[in-house]
Amino acid sequence: MNKRLGAVAALLGIGLLTVGVTAQNSRSSTLIYGGDFSGLITLDPGQSYEFAGSLVTNNLYETLVKFEGEDLSTLQPSIATKWTTKDAGDVWKVTFNLRNQKFASGNPVTSDDVVYTFDRAIAMKGPGSFLFTSVANMKVGSTKAVNKNTVEVSFPKTASPAAFLNLLTFNIGGIVDSAVVKTHVVDNDYGTNWLKRNSAGSGPYVLNRWDQSQSVVLDANKNSRLLPRLSRVILREIKEANTQKIALESGEIDIADNLTPDMVKAKASESKFNVYKADSLNLQYLGMNVGDASPFKDARVRQAVRYALDQDGIIKSLAGGNARKVQTIIPAGLFGFNPATPYNLNPEKAKELLKAAGKEGGFEFDMLTPQGACLAGIPCADLAAKIQSDLAKIGLKANIKQLVDSELYPLYRAQKATMVLVDWSPDFPDPDGNATPMSDFGAKSLAWRNVWNNPTAGSLAQKAALEPNPSKRAALYKQLTELQLEDGPFAILFQPTVSVTLSKAVKGYLRNAQNQIRFEKISKQ
Amino acid sequence: MLNYTIRRLFFVLFVVWGVSVATFFLSQVVPGDPALVALGDKATDEMIANFRVKNGLDKPVVAQYFSYVGRLLQGDLGTSLRTGRPIIDDLRDFFPGTLELSITALLIAALIGIPAGILAALNQNRPPDFIIRFLALIGGATPIYWLAILLLEFLHNKLRILPGPGRLDAYLIAPTRVTGFVGIDALLARDWQVFGDSLAHLILPAFVLGAFSSALLARMTRASMLETLSQDFIRTARSKGVSQSQVVIKHALRNAFLPVLTVLGGVLGGLLSGAVLTETIFSWPGVGRYTTDAAISLDFPAVMGVTLLAGMAYSIINLVTDLLYALFDPRITYA
Repeated sequence: MNKRLGAVAALLGIGLLTVGVTAQNSRSSTLIYGGDFSGLITLDPGQSYEFAGSLVTNNLYETLVKFEGEDLSTLQPSIATKWTTKDAGDVWKVTFNLRNQKFASGNPVTSDDVVYTFDRAIAMKGPGSFLFTSVANMKVGSTKAVNKNTVEVSFPKTASPAAFLNLLTFNIGGIVDSAVVKTHVVDNDYGTNWLKRNSAGSGPYVLNRWDQSQSVVLDANKNSRLLPRLSRVILREIKEANTQKIALESGEIDIADNLTPDMVKAKASESKFNVYKADSLNLQYLGMNVGDASPFKDARVRQAVRYALDQDGIIKSLAGGNARKVQTIIPAGLFGFNPATPYNLNPEKAKELLKAAGKEGGFEFDMLTPQGACLAGIPCADLAAKIQSDLAKIGLKANIKQLVDSELYPLYRAQKATMVLVDWSPDFPDPDGNATPMSDFGAKSLAWRNVWNNPTAGSLAQKAALEPNPSKRAALYKQLTELQLEDGPFAILFQPTVSVTLSKAVKGYLRNAQNQIRFEKISKQ
Repeated sequence: MLNYTIRRLFFVLFVVWGVSVATFFLSQVVPGDPALVALGDKATDEMIANFRVKNGLDKPVVAQYFSYVGRLLQGDLGTSLRTGRPIIDDLRDFFPGTLELSITALLIAALIGIPAGILAALNQNRPPDFIIRFLALIGGATPIYWLAILLLEFLHNKLRILPGPGRLDAYLIAPTRVTGFVGIDALLARDWQVFGDSLAHLILPAFVLGAFSSALLARMTRASMLETLSQDFIRTARSKGVSQSQVVIKHALRNAFLPVLTVLGGVLGGLLSGAVLTETIFSWPGVGRYTTDAAISLDFPAVMGVTLLAGMAYSIINLVTDLLYALFDPRITYA
């Protein structure tokens, strides 16, 4: 018995020792990225939709065009070396010239792969497929191979060429190796069951393995033209912020993605760590139902709410400064952003507006609030309490009803929320990702949910989406955002920044507002 | 004994059926839309409708239940709405983590709790008893969350004597999956480094889980031992000159062990159902985390799959406990 115990102890000792040695050897060439990746359910670029899926697939697959660094305004070549948009009567035709390059398998990247990728995504009807079908109005057959290195996409003029090009930077635009995927198709599943846990792209990394709820291991793609600096990147799933902090301090992970604002603040003052602040395109907002039976029907009441909200206090005290004050519907960082912030805290002005609207005595209503954390890591309950307190100062009594998302959203989507505290982010970096849902009643999205039917706003959003001339487009968005400021059903609360804590050894980490991180640019010292 | 076992196994089927009915119909009264949760807020009405059709959510509740039972009889637990995988595959991934953690935690709990309970009983109202009762009180009252963070901070981060979260060091790659138990798979692959590391990673989470259970076991063992030690047959044994160790081990412990065995069975059943907090803090991929994520996502097929598994585990553990009674107490027989 003693011998057995001794053997186990020896093995444990060997294990711990060898781990140390291995760690030393591979530390400089491996990045360990700790975070909450529990949303990861598939690595198929045609199906993945959430943050963790995007993070991985963006590094496994290249898109035709991409954004570089933090800039989301200028598209750069990727698989496509150049592209042209042509007005072809009833349709737009966008032609892409592909560079000569290879997939990880060694197969060349051809126009047939692009056709297969886009048609496959549309046919699978995955969560992101609406970008092709609803935003770009594409269908199976819209993409055609002109020759081996030229591909053409046609779509009706009801869709915006700018939005189409921008949405190609999202997961769904990741080009798959059609020859490899086709060999794994089972029961007409488009190979998605295989691609869920395997990779077939030309990105800087290939998938080594994914152990659900544990880690995703990516190895450098030897056929990639992008020459990754690290031979291996491991995403380590650690949901709990305290555990992430401990793992970062002990050197177990190099990057902690989800520390609380207090932890980030503490780490920023320590010499061993850097804090990277990334913009995001998310907006935390209050939605006000303007239906006939709602107390927010009168635009002056909605303006009163905006004047009553202490945005600076929310950003400083609750978000710990990790947010930007915005009041318009297009987030900073996107084309068409309007920096106007005319609603400064002014309860007296708010009361005057209520009086003018015949609501001098105030009123009572339910404010639907999600459970858990809102943007910038603020507990939704705290944010709701702050709003409740601000509104109480002008005589409005908000009854906070905290609901799980699965209860809250069906009510909101059914136009049954008088006031709702939620957030929104565009799926692709184009102002239309916010402008149409928030302004066009016919789009049956946010404007519809709040029963805000303003034909001028809807028309402006549609025109702006389709306007190819940038200065004219900018003018249309200025008009729209000003109209929204005055009459819209939203009170924008803030646009958060994302704080990521890194070991000082990590260099080259960049994260754009679309949450894209290019691992090939990261190195360790 | 064989007839009894078969009868009880048959009874397990009824338990599983009861669990399936209860969980299925409970899931129907939970407010919320699983399709919306799975597809996200931006899903169009058409996408939501397609999802409902694809997953049979558009059918009447009774039809959904019979379809579910039909698949169940063929060994198909259904497909998770959240992961899109067969639930049996998900459980194959998550259950080994829970099992290895639970068994290790139970061993730790038994090795600490039972001797401590005996020691306390033998030293009733003396300093060892006070200390053990005090520690048991602390062990039972300490929040698992707090203990886990505290131990990670000191034993891993500050003293560096035990590894951190996860089943393996971040730089190590797990061996090819055969059983799902990292240690066993490492042994099969003769990867001693991974084997040692996987054992080392078990220590902290298993200790945290075992600490609470050991407090419970210590208190139960003490109470049961005290009751047994006051029985006539113990006095008789002592008057016959039987040594203290013989009295304790051969007579008192054997008789006092039945209630302890019941508690052990209950503890194991609870552990197998998943230890959400421990699994979350230690980033341990187990059934507890899987079920929590499934419940938040209204992934009812997954929740039902886990509930069935837990129901079966409890039933079988109870059966084994009952059979073990006969081993410890010859007066108990099963016909």
